[in-house]
Amino acid sequence: MISFILEMEGAYDEIISENPFFVELKNEYANLFQHCIAQSWIICVPRIGSLSTRVFTVEDFCAHILVPSDELPESHYSTLTEKQVTVANKVITLEVTKSLPLQSHILFEETFYTEDFIKYKVWCIEYPLEPTTNTGTHLITKEYLTSINDCIDLLWTQAAGRQVLDQIEQSVQLFLKNQPSLPIAIGPLRDSISELYTQCLQYALQNRRLREKSKVCKTVLENIKMAVECYMQQLLFESIFKPICTSCAYEDSHLNKKIRNMCDIQLKDLDIKKELFHAVPKAKQILSKIDTYSTVLEKVLCLKQALNTINKTDSSNNVVLLTADDLLPVFVFLVIKSGLPNWYSQLTYMKEFRFSGVGKGDADESAFLITTLEAVIEHIQSGALSGPPDPESYYYESDLTEDNLNERQRKNSFTESISTSDTNTRDETLEYIFELIKANHTEQVQAILLRNKRHLETIKEHESEILKVSLDKKYQFHNEDYDDNSDSDSDIYEKLCHPLCNCKKCCSKIFKNLLKTSPTVTSRDSHGLTPLHVACIHGKAAIVELLIEMEADIDATDLNECSPMHYAASRGHQNALLLLLHSGANINKTNVDKNTPLHLCVNNGHMNCVKALIYFSEHSRKKLMINATNENGNTPLHLASKWGYEGIARLLIENGAEPSIQNHNNKSSFDFAHNLKILQVLKSVTPNLYEYIHITSSDVTVLNSKPEKLFNTKFQKLKFKENNASKTVKNLKTIERIFKAISYGDVKLACFYMNIDYTNYKNNNSNTTLCHPLCACRSCKKNNESQTDFDVNFPDSNGFTALHYAAKYGLDELCNILILNNANVNCQNKRGQTPLHLAALNNKTVVIEILTNNGANINTIDLSGNTPLHNASEMGNIGASKVLLNKNPDITMLNGSEKSALSIAKEKVHLTIIDLIEKYANKS
Amino acid sequence: MTNTSATTYNFKVVLLGEGCVGKTSLLLRYIEDKFNDKHLTTLQATFLNKKLNINGKRINLSIWDTAGQEKFHALGPIYYRNSNGAILVYDITDEDSFGKVKNWVKELKKMLGSEIVLVIAGNKIDLEHERTVPLEEAESYAKMVGARHFYTSAKMNQGVEDLFLELTREMTEKLEQNAQNEVTRTSRVLVVDDEAPVQSSCCAGSKSN
Ligand SMILES: Nc1nc2c(ncn2[C@@H]2O[C@H](COP(=O)(O)OP(=O)(O)O)[C@@H](O)[C@H]2O)c(=O)[nH]1
Ligand SMILES: [Mg+2]
Repeated sequence: MISFILEMEGAYDEIISENPFFVELKNEYANLFQHCIAQSWIICVPRIGSLSTRVFTVEDFCAHILVPSDELPESHYSTLTEKQVTVANKVITLEVTKSLPLQSHILFEETFYTEDFIKYKVWCIEYPLEPTTNTGTHLITKEYLTSINDCIDLLWTQAAGRQVLDQIEQSVQLFLKNQPSLPIAIGPLRDSISELYTQCLQYALQNRRLREKSKVCKTVLENIKMAVECYMQQLLFESIFKPICTSCAYEDSHLNKKIRNMCDIQLKDLDIKKELFHAVPKAKQILSKIDTYSTVLEKVLCLKQALNTINKTDSSNNVVLLTADDLLPVFVFLVIKSGLPNWYSQLTYMKEFRFSGVGKGDADESAFLITTLEAVIEHIQSGALSGPPDPESYYYESDLTEDNLNERQRKNSFTESISTSDTNTRDETLEYIFELIKANHTEQVQAILLRNKRHLETIKEHESEILKVSLDKKYQFHNEDYDDNSDSDSDIYEKLCHPLCNCKKCCSKIFKNLLKTSPTVTSRDSHGLTPLHVACIHGKAAIVELLIEMEADIDATDLNECSPMHYAASRGHQNALLLLLHSGANINKTNVDKNTPLHLCVNNGHMNCVKALIYFSEHSRKKLMINATNENGNTPLHLASKWGYEGIARLLIENGAEPSIQNHNNKSSFDFAHNLKILQVLKSVTPNLYEYIHITSSDVTVLNSKPEKLFNTKFQKLKFKENNASKTVKNLKTIERIFKAISYGDVKLACFYMNIDYTNYKNNNSNTTLCHPLCACRSCKKNNESQTDFDVNFPDSNGFTALHYAAKYGLDELCNILILNNANVNCQNKRGQTPLHLAALNNKTVVIEILTNNGANINTIDLSGNTPLHNASEMGNIGASKVLLNKNPDITMLNGSEKSALSIAKEKVHLTIIDLIEKYANKS
Repeated sequence: MTNTSATTYNFKVVLLGEGCVGKTSLLLRYIEDKFNDKHLTTLQATFLNKKLNINGKRINLSIWDTAGQEKFHALGPIYYRNSNGAILVYDITDEDSFGKVKNWVKELKKMLGSEIVLVIAGNKIDLEHERTVPLEEAESYAKMVGARHFYTSAKMNQGVEDLFLELTREMTEKLEQNAQNEVTRTSRVLVVDDEAPVQSSCCAGSKSN
């Protein structure tokens, strides 16, 4: 009878002042009532329907008036009929002689204030507090609906037949038949379902029994609404959830990328109370089932249950109060760890498709739970969760500043490390190297590693000499004297001839000891991480390059069998990844879970690394296993499909990924797709190989023979192509690709398509040379020519050139590169717009600066007669207007509608711009 | 029975303020009349309901507590949207917390205008001797922004009930004013009157009997 205590707070409601018991007490026993109020006694009112209507006696009332005891006024009471009553956990227990104690649940408390502000409390209780009372007919079998079965039960039994259910079913079927394709936008979808709900509810209330019952008690009406909603949602779910997921596809995939990249997060990173830790696994288990429910009611209850699990008791059974400060972080943790791919869709469904709750306002507990989920998602989405940013961060937690850097270096000196007796020294210094790497102190890393390497060589030298000597002396040393590798540092001095001895043998011993404490490129920490791993984790390309030069093992694996490339890929560090690839690292290396680097970068949504792997394999003879399966039998495409990474899925498909491959649970990528967008990508499985493979087999031979020749060959080819009409079509295709790359903001890729050597520009100021995805040749370092054979002024069918696009998307770097490659800064598209127009329209201030500094005409007009200033003023682009006004434009120019830039700004009421132009006018 | 007794107002109230000023304590004092007490009937203090009946008007307060940590500040709008009232709590011994209240007031005024009733609570007056927020400053500020100012102590149970009662009174007033002005009702606050037709379109069917 008390089993439903956990359900929704405040779910039961009735109007006390209309309850016959209360009304009679107030009207017929006014003296008793007034006395109660004056004494602040509590009045218990049995809920409506729990008492059969009859004439109440004064005893009945006295039995329901509770007088607090003097000692324990909160839990112990006596009734005016002198019975003892205890209250705990919202349950009233009445001691009854002879039989079992009588219990009644407190449904709610209502605090009354009279006209003269005297306060008294009324408890609405489930059953009367009288053993003798005949309890009235139970109008409601169950107040709280907790599952779809409860809903069906209510509509079936309360209506005494299936007809209401049948009617709802028919309405839903008709609805689906009339709308074979449901709208993908949330608004229209919600509206049409809301209409359907109203219709179903009407059917339900046309039923005489339901109508009458709902008249008697408010809660019954609420429950009927809820039951109708649930039954309808149950029937509709399959048809409406995919459209919902589809319209939330973008948000979900972004959320997934955020979550995947922080899935190593620990409870302690989120400042969660220790007392709550132990309940988290259970809560996570409950919450991750949220996608198995199809009604909003059940989904909300799932949220509620997950929280109830947390806030019950701690491991030693003390009640732990869950406060708002804990709720959010715990919930954040649960959502991150739940492994669900569509939280945003779940939220949208709960938020937008809850019709029956509207009557209660937006403030009930369901609304609170949904809002909390929304806040959690927003919090994850916002990136405010900086922590644990690096799962490895516990290896090197100290904060490194320039000051303590020098200090630590001194401490790290030769004598220090040799005299220390701390056995952890080795880890400590390696840890220090890791810190340096993280802080990107390339020179220090190089210095330390080189010094240690030299020491190592010295030792080897000495050893061989000693060996020679000892052989000459017919082996005078004992073996154990020699084999001191395992000895701890502390006894090093005991092993020397004398403390200050510097004979070769002693020196060797000291150096060997030093080696233990001095990391080299091959050192590993307790997790098996080498410096190269760490450099890849943090994406420090310069250090990666340095370590590779120092002959670090590029395929070294840590305890999880992860190579440096696994880390570079999973963290999205394209530069580091490319350096490894170019140095011949194993592109298909699998870790302990049989994941390849491709799996990891797909899983974490790093498009740039996916591209790098694919393009690199196209350019080299290394075959990328695009359909590699991990321990669960999942291919990279499974992962892209699951997390909704549309762009990555497309790229994989276009490069031969096979969506029908089944994992160990017999699920294909199709089964993993939870929205129609991804499904569409998967179905487009006619890989347009020739579109994407830029290198023909003849190219591959060239590539194999001598990398430098590759580009020359291609240049020549392009030149030839220009003579020929069909080649123009091909050029147009290239242009399309270039523009796509520009719209992604991928400068490197755009340069590659145009045969411009990006690295040259990148490294104009520094000496370190980085490889880039598409540069297969090492000779590019020497190639200082900034010319390309590709015509950068080649326009697309609308007259846009690459510079137009670069200006539009604000890629300042690319603008510079194009200008250096003789791009025409004043070329016009078919609407007469120059790149400057597009930069002004899109408020790309840096680009405007670049273009005007490189000869762009400030007063150029397009076919409508607009100057760039007209455009900036029209769009209200303050930044662009400022930069343009600095370049002495002619503000008297009128466009085709006879309007000056100023009059346009006035028309659009862009106050700041009006101000700017007027100031400029006054100045000149 | 009179018709007025059948009216129920649902109000959403948010508690805002820096961490550790006593928001949760005020809430628990109001709902459970307890302070720093392990024996509570509720296991969570994030969302609590309070039913009031003031002079025949039924009022259901849904009180939402919020996290005070700075890192969650940006989530404020998600919590306070659609609120009828906000209680802005500061600690009279902590000047920064009063500054935080000012920020909240600014933000709420900007986002919700006069839609929302604000009250300011200077908590921990049992620590009067450690006060750092000057009395006059707090009161004149509250006056300036049109919010009632209360001194409370969750610990000593001072001013807590007054605070919530006054807020309720003002919210009711505002609602009745709006209704009188014939402002089109939002679904935000729904007056559920058993005799009147239901306002929200999607529940229209429920009253077709
Ligand atoms: N002296 C005193 N301490 C209080 C009062 N209200 C709260 N506290 C204490 O202030 C601390 C923070 O209270 P809490 O309610 O958790 O603040 P919240 O973070 O704003 O929810 C707790 O240690 C409370 O015991 C008060 O009125 N007087
Ligand atoms: Mg709190």
